[in-house]
Amino acid sequence: MDFVLDYISVNTFWTILAIVHALLAVALLGALTHQAAAVLAPPRAGAAGGFVTHFRSVSGPRYAGAVCVLWVLAFVLGGWIYTKYRIYVRIPIEQEGMWKTLGAFELKEHLATIGLGLLPVYWHLWKNARNAAYDSARKWLTAVLAAICWYAFLTGHVVNNTRGFGL
Amino acid sequence: MNTAAETSARVSSRFCTFALVFGISFAILYVVCDMAALPMFTYHPGTDRIDPGFAPPRRDEGPAMYWYGWIATSALGASILGLLAALLPEKIRGKIPLALAWVVPVMLLPVLIYSLKFYWRW
Repeated sequence: MDFVLDYISVNTFWTILAIVHALLAVALLGALTHQAAAVLAPPRAGAAGGFVTHFRSVSGPRYAGAVCVLWVLAFVLGGWIYTKYRIYVRIPIEQEGMWKTLGAFELKEHLATIGLGLLPVYWHLWKNARNAAYDSARKWLTAVLAAICWYAFLTGHVVNNTRGFGL
Repeated sequence: MNTAAETSARVSSRFCTFALVFGISFAILYVVCDMAALPMFTYHPGTDRIDPGFAPPRRDEGPAMYWYGWIATSALGASILGLLAALLPEKIRGKIPLALAWVVPVMLLPVLIYSLKFYWRW
């Protein structure tokens, strides 16, 4: 990857990676939120076709594969950026004494990792979406993953606002 | 046709067991690895050095990172447990509640928050 640094600065390189990580998170957040809405509050039969109805009318199984791929990609990219975060972002935040911000970020890394381990069973439950025995587990696991994704997204946003790369 | 469908159902069931046990044991092992400091390896980002197991930060070499090592330990342990569970007879496999897939992470949340008590300073 060093050849890239002949054309852009080190800060620009890591900032681009952080932005791509954020864009993957946006896509993941959208997919999981649609899917969670579809299982937690499915549209009533004959309901008028407004924004909310359309928002929750997605086909959940169609999103499962994309959710898994996006979670893995966002995780791998986040894990790569994490090495630089540890030195160039976290240490200055420590020096500022912003401990709760750091704690919130630590919780994000823990929850995102636990979510990663749950992807195989999540994928299996959605792959067999017609199996009624899976309905409850599928619904609540999707809701848990969506909640983790929202927490991770918002925390990442706050930490990036506190101190992003290149500052 | 029936035989093929039954084989497919059995394979699916074994995979379901593996995926379920992998997911819940990965989550539990990860929290245990975090709280008991059990990384498979330690990464020193300042020098790109990797030490086996837990290694404290080295003087003048920046911080040490254990997160990758926790993931590796948890993934290995969860894979072994998942494979063992998949080998169990169907009668036993069928008794593992699917709800554990979401109950376990929810129950681990307060444990994780407690494990980070160092950061909750006012």
